[in-house]
Amino acid sequence: MAWQLAAPAGALAENQVIGVRLGETEVALYRLNGEVFATHGVCTHALAFMKDGFLENGQIECPLHQGRFDVRSGRALCAPLSRNLPTYAAETRGDEIWVDLDQPGRAAPTATPQAEPHDATRRLVVVGAGQAAAAAIRAAREAGFAGPIALVGEEPHLPYERPPLSKEALLDAGAAIPDCLDPAATSVDLHLGRRVESLGGGRVTLAGGAVLEYDALLIATGGRARRLSVPGADLRGVHYLRTREDADSIADALAKARRVVVVGGGFIGLELASAARKMGVAVTLLEQAPELMARLLPAPIGAAFRQLAESHGVEVRRGLAVQSIAQHGAALLVSTGDEFFEADAVLVGVGLEPETALATAAGCRLKAGAIAIDEAGRTSIPGIWAAGDCAAYPAPIRGADRRLESWQFAEDSGAAAGRSIAGAAPAPLRTPWFWSDQFGVNIQMLGMPLATDRVARSGACYWTADAEGRPTAIIALNDAAAIHAARKSLTIPAQARWLDEPEEPPMDTHAENRGLTLSRRYAWPAEGLTRIPDWVYTDPWIYEREVERIFKGRTWNYVALESEIPNSGDYIRSHVGPTPVVVSRAEDGSINVFENRCTHRAAEFCRELKGNVPEFVCPYHQWTYDLKGNLQGVPFRRGAAGKGGMPADFKVEDHGPRKLAVTTHRGVVFASYAEDMESLQDYLGAEVMREFEATFDGRKLVILGHYRHTLPGNWKLYHENLKDPYHATLLHTFLVAFGLLVAGNRSLMLADPSGRHGVMCSAKSDPSKIAAEDKKEMRAFHDGMKLEDPRMMDFFDEFDSEWSVTMSTIWPNLIVQREMNTLGIRQIVPTGPNEFIMKWTMFGFEGDTPEMTAHRLRQGNLMGPAGFLGLEDNEAMKFVQDGMLRVPDGEHYVALDPATPEGTSDTLISESAIRAMYRHWREVMGI
Amino acid sequence: MPDSIMMDPRLSALLLRAEVDAFNTDYCATLDAQKLMEWVEFFTEDGFYSVISRENFDSNLPVGLIHCEGKAMVKDRAFALLKTAMFGPRYLRHMVSNLAVDPPRPDGSFAARANYIVFEVLTDRPDARILQVGSFLDEFRRVDGTLKLASRRCIYDTLLVPTALCIPV
Repeated sequence: MAWQLAAPAGALAENQVIGVRLGETEVALYRLNGEVFATHGVCTHALAFMKDGFLENGQIECPLHQGRFDVRSGRALCAPLSRNLPTYAAETRGDEIWVDLDQPGRAAPTATPQAEPHDATRRLVVVGAGQAAAAAIRAAREAGFAGPIALVGEEPHLPYERPPLSKEALLDAGAAIPDCLDPAATSVDLHLGRRVESLGGGRVTLAGGAVLEYDALLIATGGRARRLSVPGADLRGVHYLRTREDADSIADALAKARRVVVVGGGFIGLELASAARKMGVAVTLLEQAPELMARLLPAPIGAAFRQLAESHGVEVRRGLAVQSIAQHGAALLVSTGDEFFEADAVLVGVGLEPETALATAAGCRLKAGAIAIDEAGRTSIPGIWAAGDCAAYPAPIRGADRRLESWQFAEDSGAAAGRSIAGAAPAPLRTPWFWSDQFGVNIQMLGMPLATDRVARSGACYWTADAEGRPTAIIALNDAAAIHAARKSLTIPAQARWLDEPEEPPMDTHAENRGLTLSRRYAWPAEGLTRIPDWVYTDPWIYEREVERIFKGRTWNYVALESEIPNSGDYIRSHVGPTPVVVSRAEDGSINVFENRCTHRAAEFCRELKGNVPEFVCPYHQWTYDLKGNLQGVPFRRGAAGKGGMPADFKVEDHGPRKLAVTTHRGVVFASYAEDMESLQDYLGAEVMREFEATFDGRKLVILGHYRHTLPGNWKLYHENLKDPYHATLLHTFLVAFGLLVAGNRSLMLADPSGRHGVMCSAKSDPSKIAAEDKKEMRAFHDGMKLEDPRMMDFFDEFDSEWSVTMSTIWPNLIVQREMNTLGIRQIVPTGPNEFIMKWTMFGFEGDTPEMTAHRLRQGNLMGPAGFLGLEDNEAMKFVQDGMLRVPDGEHYVALDPATPEGTSDTLISESAIRAMYRHWREVMGI
Repeated sequence: MPDSIMMDPRLSALLLRAEVDAFNTDYCATLDAQKLMEWVEFFTEDGFYSVISRENFDSNLPVGLIHCEGKAMVKDRAFALLKTAMFGPRYLRHMVSNLAVDPPRPDGSFAARANYIVFEVLTDRPDARILQVGSFLDEFRRVDGTLKLASRRCIYDTLLVPTALCIPV
């Protein structure tokens, strides 16, 4: 027994739950009437923390799916829970709470109290072995039903939970699907994998002739996934979802597919799409109606579901009905008449057809297309009950007979039938409740909305209301508390806004994508970071998103060296991403960065590359800006001769250009669109900062000149080139020929913890010591190849660093080059997905001798667009972009050095830093 | 030739200009043919060669795309481009005009200027694009009677280099 300190007693108030972590175990602590209880901290049903749940009457309700546990005993009190929560011994010692994980709590679960058994000869046969059947059997036994129970199911499995089939089971064919019946504890005689031929009159006849006799019969035959009635609807590769086997084959298909078409924009269709996107598969979702969920929900809510899907890269096409599916090579071609969609698999989620044939043959009355039952589950035929998806809701809801194909109804109607069969009264009907997990969002719906309802919204909750304005349902996205509250009282809060038109998001980011072919969707390959799809480098929408999320996001962008603007009034034109900015030094010595765009008519007002001015004047209408970018003067602001002029409420303060946050370090100037950026120190991290400070070692910088060039490649290729030490000895045969860099050199490819920055480091070594086998690998190595003027390759060790060469890639737009003694800044200015401009600023230090400056210039022949190395890099990157543009829709293979999945590597033969960069990129891009 | 003609400074200027013009024609033909080792021979032993942007030149900033102090570095450049450098196949066409030649100094050296255009044709594009527009700022000297470049600074106006400058200007 290992008691351990879990929390200070003061951290846990009366009737409160908190979460703590003891070693590897998540633990939830509760205080009830002064006493402390401890349970495992994670729900036994889905991954949710009990600390986020609702503690009420000694029960903790899981925030995700409303399962409730008894806090004292850990007992699972209601579905969807099938397993109890482990409890732990807990006690208060002084002002501390102590827990022993090896000892259960004081009130470990006891066996379910059984009602007094009665007639042990009455026979129950249950036809159909799903959720409702299991609920009925459990309820019947709990209510005291003592006779034999036979369970007949077509599926070869015990009753199991179906909700995971459209969720986690699609991601992993081996995922565990919980059973929901314990046949031993309930003494059930199983007839699984058996089909029923007929039933009624006290007899159930199985295929093959066996007969089961009953005194009570429960029909829980569920339903079938509705099939498309178009040519090709049953082709291999067209999937429907109802059973575990269906889920397994969809999981298999998703593991192999690159693109799928999902047919149907209801809950199942969206969950299928969500799983596919999670697997990195491109998805086009086809919905027949003008909006998703159109049969179930009002259009504004359907639009919200659609936008959620679209924001996760699903291409949603509405108003398109599938006309046919045809084999097209290895793929399938889905036709909607005018359009064709190619896919590796077609996933269909177009609803459920209740399985009523047996009941109909037995004479049971139907309503709403399903078996009519009363609140106790009785059908129109005495002795026959029905429950679950094959049955209609007992009472009219909102004026009509309806089916509720939900988990809760299967559970409740099953339990009602079970109790009724055992002679007990049914529990009162609960408000319809439904949940869906899609695109990382938990969606819960309580109540009965109709598509014709009005909709009000507040935050992530939607309320529906009938024509009289009475609330009919709440649909909450990731807001379990709202559902919890609505169970007590469904009211529409005063601040909710009525949506009488479908809402559009501020920017429909996918508008540009419509009409593109499926192969252009943004699905990351399933293999993960060892593959990089071409669209990362060539797609205009990706590029625009990069500008917004990266260059204008939470990044420090290089803009200038302080030495370029030493005096008040000095300025240079620069860029943050593609956006032109002015970098100026004001009278007070401050450095200011603001957009180079007149706020009047958008003119790029600062035209010279650099200069010195007292103020900036837009040439078009002479609006003037001071050195800090503040709008100063507007000609004829008050008009002329009493006429014209600016509106009376015009204030110059309201019309300045966008200013950026600025930071400097060791003479290097950075700017950011984020107003609350972390310090540069925190942004770079300690390791990258150390290399930064090794190059910018405190000596004042002296500018030696610039290079500028265009490069017809994606801007990220430049980062990758410098996170790719593999290329250095293979592409740059100059280095190898003259013995500067060889694969055996001491080297390091450093990646910061975030993966966005990197430093490629190497130390010059003596070429005479290169192993023969290394030389053989590098075809260019020639012993004795010498430069006529070897001074170019001299290295004067002027830095406090073990490396003679470091190339720092500082996300997103800066490269710091320290190639022995030739030093430079490279600034990336992207101009589109397929091209960028590179601005180089070469520098030395104050105090350099003329000979040192001359040496830096000589060594400069290595770099730049005509440099021995630089021209090769530029050419190679152009070749890469050419390859992607001319043989499109492929992917890059960056799998070198599997021992280092992502991050720092001490071998040159590695691509781990590239993978680390894409891990970060995908996070920021949400892709 | 009669002395009276030789003495006419206008005529000697014209002859010198014709000689420099022929030099530049030869120089361009050599580069157009990508005979880089022969190109080396246009320079004196201490010859200086640089390709520098007008931006840098006008600001007295010394950095050039290419920066060779002496014929040995010019030769290293030629050798490296021929033997080690990787770049896509291309043709170049060097055009020189607006030649101006200053009168020679007593030691025979003189300065000269000219404008140049370099067209570049990539094998997968239909167009000849302008790789550079600029001017030569030259210092000539005679070595054993032959004109050599003691210095050629190629000052280019086209600040944004398209991708890479692979063959010298």
